Amino acid sequence: MSVQVPASISAETVERIAEERDEPEWLLETRLAALEALEDLDLPDVIQTPGNRWTDLESLDFESLVDPLNQADATERSEDTDAVVLPFTEALEEYGDLIEANFGSVLDPQENYLTALSVALFTTGTFVYVPEGVDAEDVTVRAEMNSRSLFSQTLVVTEESSSVTILEGIETGDDVEGERYFSNLVEVAAGENSHVQFGSLQNLDEETYTYALKRGVTDTYATINWIEGNLGSRLTRSDIETDLDGDGSESQIVGAFFGHEDQHFDINARVWHRAENTTADLVTRGVLDDEARSVYEGVQDVGQDAWNTSSYQRENTLMLSDDAEADASPKLIIHNHDTEASHSATVGQVDAEDLFYMESRTIDPITARNMLVEGFFVPVLEEIAVDEFREDLEALVGERLR
Amino acid sequence: MATLEINDLHARVAEEDGERILRGVDLTVESGEIHALMGPNGSGKSTTAKVIAGHPAYEVTDGEILLHLDEADVADIDEDIDEADYTWNLLELEPNERAALGIFLGFQYPAEIEGVTMTNFLRQAINAKHEEREELFEDEEAEADADEDEDAGYDSSPMEGPTDEGEIGVAEFQQLLSEKMELLDMDEKFMQRYLNAGFSGGEKKQNEVLQAAMLEPAVAVLDEIDSGLDIDRLQDVAKGINALRDEQGTGVLQITHYQRILDYVEPDHVHIMLDGEVVKSGDAELAEQLEDKGYDWVREEVYEAA
Repeated sequence: MSVQVPASISAETVERIAEERDEPEWLLETRLAALEALEDLDLPDVIQTPGNRWTDLESLDFESLVDPLNQADATERSEDTDAVVLPFTEALEEYGDLIEANFGSVLDPQENYLTALSVALFTTGTFVYVPEGVDAEDVTVRAEMNSRSLFSQTLVVTEESSSVTILEGIETGDDVEGERYFSNLVEVAAGENSHVQFGSLQNLDEETYTYALKRGVTDTYATINWIEGNLGSRLTRSDIETDLDGDGSESQIVGAFFGHEDQHFDINARVWHRAENTTADLVTRGVLDDEARSVYEGVQDVGQDAWNTSSYQRENTLMLSDDAEADASPKLIIHNHDTEASHSATVGQVDAEDLFYMESRTIDPITARNMLVEGFFVPVLEEIAVDEFREDLEALVGERLR
Repeated sequence: MATLEINDLHARVAEEDGERILRGVDLTVESGEIHALMGPNGSGKSTTAKVIAGHPAYEVTDGEILLHLDEADVADIDEDIDEADYTWNLLELEPNERAALGIFLGFQYPAEIEGVTMTNFLRQAINAKHEEREELFEDEEAEADADEDEDAGYDSSPMEGPTDEGEIGVAEFQQLLSEKMELLDMDEKFMQRYLNAGFSGGEKKQNEVLQAAMLEPAVAVLDEIDSGLDIDRLQDVAKGINALRDEQGTGVLQITHYQRILDYVEPDHVHIMLDGEVVKSGDAELAEQLEDKGYDWVREEVYEAA
């Protein structure tokens, strides 16, 4: 089933966005092609269990959510780094060829309705380029969303034997009345033997609907590590994916979410093993309070040629309230027998015996519960090598506690 | 001198048609005394321990649990102490309040808590005990006055922040901990580990005694603290229990299946439970008789007498 194209969007809209930014012809054509494809594209698949379709993307009313010509953001990007870090549109002038060669190579703009909409309309985003052999300082990108809708497009290109850590923080700036929509597409093309760490912390206000699709492709011996922290938004659909295309390449996907009230999280982590000697590690932990809901899908897909694969996945959801709901589907697909793999998922409540144990040591029930929640996130926090990022995530978890 | 007094305690599993487990337990434990509570499986020993601590899985249907304190027990409290503050009906209190008053439960199967380090946990517990005691003994009138004062404004500049005189300092905490760990022959590496996570059975039991030593309870109820210990660890744990009594004046109610630990921790009193009641009490000799003759001997004696 395809979705109606909002009447507020036409070829003229897209042309105007491209024109205002003085974009090259190839990008305008890519945008227009994405716009045209909307009619035939479907929304991303969502998990269905008997009697329950977990995430209702159909009811997103793009007609009222999308205001393409009034997009606004305030984004700070760190400058003191050996990497090239530029706002996407500014980067086109100097790095046009490099961008053209890589744009859409990892993430097809016409992957689904939401990606096509995003490519047709994006006005912000970041281009990060790390030349051969450069070990760049950490790159921070702090984005504030200041409009009803915002579409962001980020491209990371790392050349041979380079390395970079990118930390992205997304918050709401100016108040806008009513519901909002934020779309965040990220492509990472990790060159041979390069190392990319991409961390993201999303804490948008709870009237925002967020769609994030981040995908990376690894060349030989390359590593892409993702950290995805979601605390904000009314509804979050997040897909973090790595295509292990090069022999000996690796990926880790670390996820954390903490929902309260009626927040909804649709969290997905996927990895495709397509070459020999590849390794993947997927670790996600989430906590749900009040009436929050989460649905998780983790996919480890081991292809026919993926000899000597190591692939691990674990997901745990902790529910603090009887009204919270969670579903988890860890999926392991193996087409090559030379694989060492594990996958597990749990959904559980705070353990009453753990609570009683702590209370019997004088700790009051609320403090005890908070300590258990903080402790629950520790295995995820321990995977985060960047101190600043770990502290930010800890602080957001701390704020969310009662 | 504190006294834990249990009178005619009846309790059942807290669910519909929950099994009746305790059928009139009478037991008194004073500071500085060591009591052994013995009995066959299913006689209600562990339930007694859990009910004293306030485990939510059990419902008390009759009887009472009182904790009597004296001036020495409340020496740390700055407030004026009313006569009523010397006797507490534990059944009216939450588990953390009971703990603050000086009840400690050493668990048969301690919880494993990932992500919370031993140091963090113990400091939280010691600080929470201090805070909770202040609250329990706080004069209600004074409390109302204090609220008014707060409304009236700050006594000190807000920039100075709250005065945390009650919180145990890092150095003080570390020293206290080092002393207690040395006594129990525990490696200090324990302190950076997560609470009981991946501990061996013996390490968990040592850790229970360590926590008792840190919290300095009036009465420690130790549920099968000796089960599954090798002889070296049994001796360490026994040394720790004796120190609780000798150095802190803690009263110990030790639940055990085995005579063995009683060779190292000599009880002043031995009680035997059968079918949810304490049916026989005596001195250390009773445990030895029990070792020789078994529970059938007790059963026969009790039923003949009845």
